[in-house]
Amino acid sequence: MTESRDPLDSLIETLKEPVRLRPDLTRRVMAAIADDPAMATEHKPVRWWRREWTIRVTPVRLLATAAGLAGLVVTGQFLFRPAVKPASSVAGSEASNRLTQFVLVAPEAAAVTLVGDFNDWNVGATPLVRSVGDGVWSVTVPLAPGRYRYAFVVNGTVWRGDPEAPGLEDDFGQPNSVVTIGGA
Amino acid sequence: MRQASGRVGFLATVGVAVFLLIAALLLMAATPAAGQEPRLAGRLPDPARGQVEALLSAARVAGLPTEPLIDRALEGAAKGAAPTLIVSAVTRLRDELTTVRTAFGVTAAPAELIAGASALRAGASADDLARLRELRSAEPLTVAASVLADLVAAGVPADTAVGAVLAIAPNAADGDYVAFRRNVQRDIALGASPAAALGVRLRGLGELASTPTAGDGTLGASGRKRQKP
Amino acid sequence: MTAESDGRLLERVRAGDREAYALLVDRYQDRLGRYAVRMLGNQADAEEALQDTFVRAFRSLANCTRPEGFGAWVFGILVNRCRTYAARRIRADGIIVTNDDAVGRAAVPHSEERDAIRDAIGWALGQLPAEQREAFLLKHVEDLSYDSMEAMTGVRAASLRMRVFRAREELRKLLAETVRD
Repeated sequence: MTESRDPLDSLIETLKEPVRLRPDLTRRVMAAIADDPAMATEHKPVRWWRREWTIRVTPVRLLATAAGLAGLVVTGQFLFRPAVKPASSVAGSEASNRLTQFVLVAPEAAAVTLVGDFNDWNVGATPLVRSVGDGVWSVTVPLAPGRYRYAFVVNGTVWRGDPEAPGLEDDFGQPNSVVTIGGA
Repeated sequence: MRQASGRVGFLATVGVAVFLLIAALLLMAATPAAGQEPRLAGRLPDPARGQVEALLSAARVAGLPTEPLIDRALEGAAKGAAPTLIVSAVTRLRDELTTVRTAFGVTAAPAELIAGASALRAGASADDLARLRELRSAEPLTVAASVLADLVAAGVPADTAVGAVLAIAPNAADGDYVAFRRNVQRDIALGASPAAALGVRLRGLGELASTPTAGDGTLGASGRKRQKP
Repeated sequence: MTAESDGRLLERVRAGDREAYALLVDRYQDRLGRYAVRMLGNQADAEEALQDTFVRAFRSLANCTRPEGFGAWVFGILVNRCRTYAARRIRADGIIVTNDDAVGRAAVPHSEERDAIRDAIGWALGQLPAEQREAFLLKHVEDLSYDSMEAMTGVRAASLRMRVFRAREELRKLLAETVRD
């Protein structure tokens, strides 16, 4: 005897199957709440902004401070340059940025980085992390609306396109992929 | 503030002036010479770098965005391409951006020009892009032009892709274009021929698809024969 | 040895025993994780939403007024987090190129045929509007009553019934389409 089964029942049955999650979820949750003030023993922060301040102004101090601040401004330009260039230098504003996730399945890889129009094709700027199960690498970057060429670099030497994205427009004989962020 | 006095006020003014001077000097020292693109330094060997710098200067004068040109040069450098190949790739992109700007208008955003250049390379003509601008006069063109290029990359013949993108141009939102592309790509992945997938999905858009404007019975205004750029 | 009840574990957490909270996370992560994965259709987003949920729940444990109802309470937080993540995804959709299918396959190895079914189901579910997908999953996958769903989502039971009905209709249609493909 054959039964005709409602395909919706099969679907529900499949959806009820367990999913495999990262095994370290509990550890990550506990790490995230480790310093949570809601449960930590109460500590009294120093109310530095309410303390009475006494500032002595001398020419030498003022000059030293000025030089120090200027030094910070300049060195900051180099030290704090973002790995992904500001979206405004590409198009749009920070407010219109979209978080964009790039994923590559590469079980054999020891390291994967993302290179593209958004990070000056700097091979070391945007590493992917092994995020789910074995061999799944991902990274999320904010991108302003626009069209970007990109690729993955595996183990620092092997160029790979994104198997799930359109690949075209290669001028240099290496795999290339393209992502479009709507809104402009 | 304790011990504030007129003398201290004078010294403070002097200090601020010195601060500004030092900051200005340090910033000048940190800023590259005008017109030089610092990101190319160390990434592109000298003769090629000079040529790319010249292209960037000309682009600035012409009012073209330089960022895509720099990106293309950096891409070539990262991929270890020959310097001559890098210069010719940047030159080609400059030419494409120029064509697209003529088609899209001088107010086109850099993102639109970049997407338009992709569409151009995929097989759209300058006339097609101008038509797209005309049909979507109030809408950004980044997504529409990108979808056109993506459809061609998925295997849809260029003429057909152009026709479809233009056919829905007057009424489609960017989201419609995205859904359209996704559906076509999915159908192709499942085994449909690219042209058939596009045709089915276009019919599925119903009223979004405008009446074909060309007299040849194909999709949209671009059902005609087109030469590769 | 019988497992400690949620209420007992919660008492221990409130007394400062963090390990007891780890036990609660262990206890509920599979069920919550399944909902998040099905709802968001994306393993990475689901895991982020799940972690976020447990962290937020910990920070607002004072609001869990019925310790034995911890499971339902934390599920309610997850439903809200998933709405936020889904909205974020919709804003970015079309747009984001992520190798979701590959992630799913890599995380749960299956036969090719199984993958095909899974892909079709994932695709069909992804075609539903978020509110219909939410109602469908809570009703048919989590087996919740409409009263519980109303309490959890803040949406009236009558509306939820309608959403479930529409989701079922749409899924039938989509599944038929997939079979035809």
